[in-house]
Amino acid sequence: MNIFFQNVIAGLETGSLYALAALGLVLIFRTTDVINFAQGEMAMFCSFIGFKLFTSLGLPYPVAFIVTIIFAVLFGFIIEKYVIRSVNKASVVSKMIVTLGLIMVISGLATALFGIDSHYLRKAITLDNLNIGGVVIQPNAIFIILVTIVIMSVLFYMIRKTLFGIAIRATAQNETTAKLMGIPVNRITSSSWIIATVLGAIAGLLIAPTTNVSTTMMGEIHLKSFIAAVVGGFGSFLGPVVGGFLIGILDNLVGYYITLKWKTVIVYGLLIVVLIFKPTGLFGKIHRKKV
Amino acid sequence: MKKIFRSKQLQILIIGFVIAVLPFIISFKRATMTMLDTVVVYSIIALGFNILLGYAGQISLGHAAFMGIGAYMSAYITMQLHLPFLLSLLISGLVPMLLGLLLGLVALRLEGHYLAIATLGFGVTIQHIFKEWTAFTNGYSAMKPSSPSIFGFIFKSRESYFVLSIVILVLLSIFAYNLLKSKTGRALIAMRDSEHAAQAMGVSLLKYKLIAFAISAFYAGIAGSLHIHLLRYTDPNSWGIGLSLNLLAMVVIGGLASIEGSILGVVFIVVVPEIIKEIPVIGEINSLPTILTGISLILVIRFMPYGLARIMTQIKFRIQDNKVKSTAL
Repeated sequence: MNIFFQNVIAGLETGSLYALAALGLVLIFRTTDVINFAQGEMAMFCSFIGFKLFTSLGLPYPVAFIVTIIFAVLFGFIIEKYVIRSVNKASVVSKMIVTLGLIMVISGLATALFGIDSHYLRKAITLDNLNIGGVVIQPNAIFIILVTIVIMSVLFYMIRKTLFGIAIRATAQNETTAKLMGIPVNRITSSSWIIATVLGAIAGLLIAPTTNVSTTMMGEIHLKSFIAAVVGGFGSFLGPVVGGFLIGILDNLVGYYITLKWKTVIVYGLLIVVLIFKPTGLFGKIHRKKV
Repeated sequence: MKKIFRSKQLQILIIGFVIAVLPFIISFKRATMTMLDTVVVYSIIALGFNILLGYAGQISLGHAAFMGIGAYMSAYITMQLHLPFLLSLLISGLVPMLLGLLLGLVALRLEGHYLAIATLGFGVTIQHIFKEWTAFTNGYSAMKPSSPSIFGFIFKSRESYFVLSIVILVLLSIFAYNLLKSKTGRALIAMRDSEHAAQAMGVSLLKYKLIAFAISAFYAGIAGSLHIHLLRYTDPNSWGIGLSLNLLAMVVIGGLASIEGSILGVVFIVVVPEIIKEIPVIGEINSLPTILTGISLILVIRFMPYGLARIMTQIKFRIQDNKVKSTAL
């Protein structure tokens, strides 16, 4: 039983990171109807910045963490303003293709600037492990899970209760009407891109001890965050978090109890099955397309 | 006489013939020849992908998987089963086609982003299977088939391979042209422009989505088979998301819903990096081609959404527009 709980905790830890990345995806999707396929690449780039600040400049970890987040704010702002907004009039599929182009640009830049080696980055919390009834828990895991839940709650509160959230929801429903109501649509989309990039950067920095910092570090997490968003549904903020936890736990349990070799195939199989039978996800509302 | 030359099929044949003969007149370096061969091979998959994305409006981020399946199928059939190359070429087109039908069924329920995510997952899954199913794919030890032979003639030289792949490309282009000019093509375009309107006109979405996915998968499989027999080497890393993205870039940059566009796009994506490599200093950055492809993809969507193939038409329209505006004033 202990092993089972061990796997569940490990699943919650990785699941939180999927959820963090997925929250960013969903936020951008809800405000602009764009799925940002470059989210993972942007997170990778931010992690590299964090890594360079920590090792090359020798900044203390918390400082490096905060400077990375400031970088992420700028990064998200620039990408939105100069790339995404310039194709404002294009169709949804074209916008998606633009984010796919961003994948190439950012990963190419990262390879050119930082090389293709992978580097170790320390954990956020380096206290001794806790032992609760035979289940070993790393404080770092608890930290990651807590960060995710806090961020989710803040986003949830923000969307539901604040003026900013109402503006986001209005923009998502109809951009023109939102503009007519005096909502600064540009500023709203800009901020949602910034928040999403920051979430990605946090996920990247927190996952770095497990995957190492490299140009391909976010590949799997990025894909799994998609699955988390799909399983939970793009319609809510609770969905992706639950989806992330589910994927994380399932990933670990399948890997431990069934087969390590085929676990990726099984998890992706699950994605396709969910997409076919419940395309709106577990928490999504049915979305009828207007003709 | 003029009428005959206006037939597009004949034009394709003549252009194909001229290009196929070219390497025998001007002798290229072997590396250049390999590059030209790859252009032709990728043109085949880009053509199929354009039918899917450009005409039917269905996105796929997993097409590298179909190409990979074609490649491995073909290598397995010629190396392990010792069957002739032509048969392997056919089978390596048909097997992805069956899988394409399956993906078409998925596409029936999904659209836009969801389809993109599902196909992305499909591509990654298949690539993972390539890595793990070593009995079939040989994993990272790679498959190394020999040069193909048809009726005793071995296509060993790059020039002869060029002729072979051009012949296949010409056949498939004519097929694509005929198909797209037929009822099927019109149904695909109707479906792309509005699924609801198409349905109202009696276009069966099931049938035409399946057709679009099956055909593009078939083209991808054929391209895969030709690719592995050209380079005579493949490992699972070749068939990842990178290739799928490149494919998308080829079709979008070249021009959606255009046969010439597919080929132009391939030329752009394959040849430009080779030219950049020759430039001192900048050419030494390995990832430069990727960056440039990404930038061109974004710029094309921003400034010429109809791609390179229709740039002249776009300019013409722009000039006309300006004229209309100036006379109106």
